[in-house]
Amino acid sequence: MIEPNFPKSFKIETKPAKFCPGCGYNLILRNLGWVIDEMGIQSKSVFMTDIGCNLLAWDYFDLPSCQTHHGRTVPTAAGFKMADPEKLVICLIGDGGGYAIGLQNLIHACLRNSPITIILVNNLDYSMTGGQVSPTSLEGQITDSTPFGKKTEIQGQTFYGPETLKRLANKNAYIARTSSDKPEEVKSYLRKALETQKQGNFAFVEIISACPTNWRTDAAETINKLKELEKIFPLGEIV
Amino acid sequence: MKILFAGEGGQGVQLAAEILAHAAFLEGKGASLIPNFGVEQRGGVSLAFIIIDRDVSYPKFEKADILAVFCDRAIKRVQRYIDRSTIIFSGPAVTSKVSENQEFRVEDKDLPVKVWNILVLGKIVKQTKIVNKKQIITALEEKLAEKFNKDPSLKELNLKALL
Amino acid sequence: MARAAYDAGAKIMFGYPITPVTEVFATWVRLINNSQRLGLQTEDEIAAGFGVCGAVLAGERAFTATGGPGMILMQDPLSMAEAMRLPMVVFDGQRGGPSTGQVIYSQQEVNLAIYGGNGEGLRLVYSTSTLGELYDYGKKVFEVAWQYRFPTILLYDGYQGKMKGEVEIQQTTDNRQQTTLKLEPILTGNMRNTYNLEEELGEVVQNSKADFDKAAPKLVEYETKETEDAQIIILAHGIVASAAKKAVEKLREKGLKVGLLRPITLSPFPEEAVSRAIERVRQVIVFESSLGQFSRLVKAHEYGLEVPIVEIQKPGVGFTPEEIEQKVKSYLGK
Repeated sequence: MIEPNFPKSFKIETKPAKFCPGCGYNLILRNLGWVIDEMGIQSKSVFMTDIGCNLLAWDYFDLPSCQTHHGRTVPTAAGFKMADPEKLVICLIGDGGGYAIGLQNLIHACLRNSPITIILVNNLDYSMTGGQVSPTSLEGQITDSTPFGKKTEIQGQTFYGPETLKRLANKNAYIARTSSDKPEEVKSYLRKALETQKQGNFAFVEIISACPTNWRTDAAETINKLKELEKIFPLGEIV
Repeated sequence: MKILFAGEGGQGVQLAAEILAHAAFLEGKGASLIPNFGVEQRGGVSLAFIIIDRDVSYPKFEKADILAVFCDRAIKRVQRYIDRSTIIFSGPAVTSKVSENQEFRVEDKDLPVKVWNILVLGKIVKQTKIVNKKQIITALEEKLAEKFNKDPSLKELNLKALL
Repeated sequence: MARAAYDAGAKIMFGYPITPVTEVFATWVRLINNSQRLGLQTEDEIAAGFGVCGAVLAGERAFTATGGPGMILMQDPLSMAEAMRLPMVVFDGQRGGPSTGQVIYSQQEVNLAIYGGNGEGLRLVYSTSTLGELYDYGKKVFEVAWQYRFPTILLYDGYQGKMKGEVEIQQTTDNRQQTTLKLEPILTGNMRNTYNLEEELGEVVQNSKADFDKAAPKLVEYETKETEDAQIIILAHGIVASAAKKAVEKLREKGLKVGLLRPITLSPFPEEAVSRAIERVRQVIVFESSLGQFSRLVKAHEYGLEVPIVEIQKPGVGFTPEEIEQKVKSYLGK
C-alpha cells in the first residue's frame, strides 16, 4: 500500500481537505506543512484563520488552530502573541478579510511591527459567498456583485497590499508576493516569513491563488489566468 | 452638605471641586464628587456635584445647600438646584445676579484669571467653614503638587487666592 | 477597576479611548510601568476585543473597557467569546444612547451586555452600584470568567466611573497578585465557531446553555433591604439601587413598609429570589435609567406572577433618593 506523502504537521483524519478541485489553498497549505516540518516548529506554532474559504483549514493541521471572525484574525493573533511570545502565530486570511473589513487591523499590526506571520491568499474575490468583488478585483472584472464589470470609479482601484504595507513596515519586516503556481517560491517565502517572526518582526506574504470555481475557468484557463495575474501583481520579495 | 460648582470648561471648576472634596476626605468627613460636563474641551458646561457626608449613596442631588457660579452662562443651568436655603457664591467673572437668594460676590483682588476658581473656593471655606483651613491648604498643595514643583511662584499665588 | 484587574493578576489590557472609560486604560498603563504586564491602545474597539480573545486563548487573563458606541463594536468579539467559551472580560461604563448620545450616564446597555451579539445571551453580567463594588467585582469577574468560561461583563455607568469617593480595599496577603497567573492555554486543539449543519451548531449551543444553567445557582447574586414585610418592593440595579436604598431608609423612618431588591447579577438573573420577594406584595415598582431594558428582564423572568408592576423609566437620566421617595409615597397614596 502506498502511503500518501503528507507533512507530519497535517491532520490525516481530516483529509481529503474541503477545498475545491484546483484551488490554490491545497498547494499553499501543503507547502506550509512542509515548512513547519522542516523548521521543526510544530510544537510551538498556532494557526488562526479568518472567515471565508480559509476557515476550511481550521482542522487541516495538527496544530492548535482557531477560527476567528471576518477581518479579525490579525488582532486576535496580535493579542495571542502578546500573551505568549514564545509561540509562532500563523494567520491565514483572504483578500476580503485582509484588505477590506480587516484592512485597518492589518495596517496597524504592520505599523506596530507585530511579530506575527500573515499569509494572505488572494483570489481576487469573496469566494465562499459566491464570488463577490473584493479590493483586489480588476477593472472590468465580472463578479456576483459587479455583474457588468467592476468599475474603478464606483468600487475603487485595485489594492496592492504588499506595496502599501512596505511603505509602513519596519525595515526588518518581511513583505512578499508570489503565486500558487510557483511552489518553490511559496515554500521559500513562507519559510522566510516564519524566520522573520522568530526574529521578532512582522511578516506578510500575499499569494495570488487560483479559484476556478469563481473564476469559472477550466484547468487550462485557470493556469493562463494565473500567468496573466502574475504580470499585473508584481511577484517577489519587496525590499 | 450638598455643594454645586457651575462654570465653563477651562475655568477650573473641576479642580476647585476636587480640592474641596479631598479636603473633606482628609478631615474624615467623607466626600463624594462627580463631574458633569459636555464634550467640548473648552467652553461648554462644567458642573461639579460635591457631597460632604460619610454615607453617600448617590452622587447627585435635587437642591444645593451651597452653590458657586463661575460664569454668566452657568446661571440658567443652575436655577433648578436652588431653593430658599441655598447659599450662593458668584465668582469675579459673573456679572448678573444668580437668584433672589443671599449671594456672596467674590472680588478678584487683582489676582489673575487663572486663580479665580481658587478665590471662590477660599471664600466658600472662609464663609461656611465646611472644611477647616488646615485641610484645604493640604488638599490644594496635594492636588497642585506637580504644578508647584515646576513653578514655585504658583504656590504663593494660589495660597494667596485661597486665604 | 484598573487596580482590581491588576490585583486579579491580569496580564494585558487592550483599550480604546472613549468616555467614560478612558481613565481605566490610562490608570492601567501607569500601574504596570516597570512590570511585565502589558497595555495596548488598539485602532478600535473591535481590535481591542479580539486582542483580549487572543490573549485568553494563550492562557493569560486579559480585559478591555468600553461603553456606548464602543460597546456596540464589542459585540463582534463578544459573540466569538460566547461561541467559543472564552473568558473575555469587559468593563462596560454605560452612557446615554442610542448613538453617540451623551457621555455621562445611563443604564441603557443592559441589552448590549447580555444579548448584544447574535447569540443567546450566555454571558455573565454584574451590575455594580458603588465604588467599592467596582473594585470587588472588578476582581471577581476574572475568577468567574475563567472558572465557568463565559464572557463576563462588569456593567457600571458613567456616574460610578467618574465619581470620586472613599473606597475601602481589604488588603489581605493574597489580595495582591504580584505576578500574573499563568493559566493553561485555552487554544490546544482545533477550535471553530463555524459549523456546516443546523443540528451541529444547535447541539453546541444547547451544551453551552446546559453549562450556563448548571452554573447559574452558584453565580446568582442579589441584595435585599427590608423586603420581609414590605407592601411595596422596589426593583432596581446599579446606582439607581443605591439611591433607592436611601429612599427605603427614609420611607421606613416614616413607617412605610417599603423594601428593595437589587439584582447584582443581571445574567444569570436571580429569578427565584425576586419571585420569593415579590409574590405577596401589593405593588412592585421598577426604577431604571432606560426605557425598559431592565424591567423587560424582570417581566421575562417573572412571567406568571400576578403582582402589579409599575415601571418608572428615564432614559439616560438618574434618580435622586428624594425623587424615588416621592414616587413611592405617591403609590402608597401618601
